Amino acid sequence: MVNKTSMSRKSVEVTNHAAMTKLKRRFSSQNAGLILLMFFILLALPFIPGFKPWMANQLSLVLVYVIAAQGISILTGYTGLVSVGHGGFLAIGAYTSALLVKYTGVDIAIAIVASACMAGAFGFMLGLVFLRLSGPFLAIGTLGFAFFIGTLINNVPFFEGREGISLPVNKFMGVVLSDVSFYFLGLGFFALVTLFIFSFVRSSVGRSLMALRDAEKAAQSCGVNRFFYRMLAFTVSATITGAAGALSGFSVRYVSAEVYSDIWYSVDILVAVIVGGSAMMMGPIVGGTFVALLPFLLETLADLSFILKGLILIAVLIFAPAGICELIARPFQRWRQLQIESVGKETLVNAPSAVMHQH
Amino acid sequence: MLGQLITSGVSTGALYALTAIAVVVVFRNTRTINLAQGDFSMIAAFIAVMLLKSGFSYSQALACTVAFTILLGILVERLVMRPIADADWLTLFTATLGVYYIMHGIAGWLWGRDTKAFPYTFDPTPVHTFGTVISVGHLLNIGWAAAIGAVLFVFFKFTKQGVAMRAVTDDPETARLMGIPVRFIVLLTWGMAGFLGAFAGILLAPILYVSPQMMDEVLVKGYVAAVFGGLYSIPGAIIGALMIGVAENLAGGYLGSHYKTATAFVMIVVLLALRPQGLFGIQKRREI
Repeated sequence: MVNKTSMSRKSVEVTNHAAMTKLKRRFSSQNAGLILLMFFILLALPFIPGFKPWMANQLSLVLVYVIAAQGISILTGYTGLVSVGHGGFLAIGAYTSALLVKYTGVDIAIAIVASACMAGAFGFMLGLVFLRLSGPFLAIGTLGFAFFIGTLINNVPFFEGREGISLPVNKFMGVVLSDVSFYFLGLGFFALVTLFIFSFVRSSVGRSLMALRDAEKAAQSCGVNRFFYRMLAFTVSATITGAAGALSGFSVRYVSAEVYSDIWYSVDILVAVIVGGSAMMMGPIVGGTFVALLPFLLETLADLSFILKGLILIAVLIFAPAGICELIARPFQRWRQLQIESVGKETLVNAPSAVMHQH
Repeated sequence: MLGQLITSGVSTGALYALTAIAVVVVFRNTRTINLAQGDFSMIAAFIAVMLLKSGFSYSQALACTVAFTILLGILVERLVMRPIADADWLTLFTATLGVYYIMHGIAGWLWGRDTKAFPYTFDPTPVHTFGTVISVGHLLNIGWAAAIGAVLFVFFKFTKQGVAMRAVTDDPETARLMGIPVRFIVLLTWGMAGFLGAFAGILLAPILYVSPQMMDEVLVKGYVAAVFGGLYSIPGAIIGALMIGVAENLAGGYLGSHYKTATAFVMIVVLLALRPQGLFGIQKRREI
């Protein structure tokens, strides 16, 4: 866009462009540094003295929520489609892997891949029907889907209903996993998904999705195939959530309809994304942690945690509609904005347009 | 057998219709998918239990509960929905989810999570009508639902507020310019949601028993019924609710009660695959 302005200013613009690129590179390395730091802290957690194995279990559960929320953020945050039925995919993932391990005794690596594929296949088929809808209609349709899956696992004898399926010791690539090493596995998976979403969002596919979200008609007239990209987003999102479901089953080594038939499970994942901030890398991470830890921290006060969750949710919607992460990031964004503006002022007259392209 | 399944299906469907109408009314006036609709009913049922146990008669308890729930609806609008009235539909939807959590928490905290019986029991005495057998309880429910339907019809057709409410549905901007107090109408809409919710709760309580999660299933079915009317048409929602009631009863009767709850989903998938805009052509649909 910079090149479009008059030729006489060209030399000035080139220096400006260089400075801007440099600044941009510094910002993105700062971002990457922060995420790396977070991973190192998470990696170091089990080595802190006083760490008990049950904590690793709890952390694995948090990771499950975070990964599921990351799956839904592709759909809700970057594509603008709202699904209230991702608990259904979580259940599909958990049951696929549990039944596979129970009846064939496969390695959990294979089981996780298989359940991700299964959830993806279901997502694809559901997308064929549901992606003709949008907005509230899609939300209700997917809620019905979660409800349907819940009924199925509760009533079809093959899924063993409320009795549940107990699983043997986890074996990953032939190695028996303890609770702590399962946490590391979950962490590795979380890193993988984060990396995937990071590059997915910045790829041409991600840009097409966001274009469809922000200006559907304009994107379509530029040749973005609406149906194809929305199908892709739905399938990918279901796949990631399915894998999270497999992890959730393995983390407690027990899968029962009591947990997975609850349609409010699906709603919880959506809440995680909305509270955290749906179209940001950190959003699902913060939101997932919030949703997973709140009932744990207030375990003795189950009803109070419900009330608190509702109050926080409403407060976030009123005061920080783009999510908690956006609220935290706001001062930093402003600081960066100032830096960009100062660079722009030194070198270029039409800085505002360049500033706009930073976003 | 068939006739009986259909009549009791119509009776349950009539109660689903109350929830479905409330969902439609709130959605078309405020773009809000109201997840807290079931909780109005749930709270109403708990309060009715409390009043009946402390010696009130059924009609007194009903009147008090309906009044309280209307107030609750108005309170929700005033405290939660109004500050974010201009936000997109997802924000509004999530805010009602917040209300859902709060009401669930309060109900669980005050009255406990376990299921309670409703003091006023469902009357199973059989009555022979129209060549089939139907119980008195079912007849009463159909009667109540029909009476509420008639009240709504009169309200929307003949009262000033009802006409104003339809005007807001059609075009809120023009309605505002014509001097209709849109905010008051929105308040009234939530009051109506509370009113319908109270009746749904009290009439369903003898069948479903009373617990914080008693309405979850009904709510999902109410949504599905509302989608039948394109989330816009009240007659569409009523017909959708009756169809769900009958279909799930038939599925329960002929296939086994396991399949009863899955019927609504199968119906919505078929509906969406064939007619994504709802069963009844919608005159006007806002861009969402």
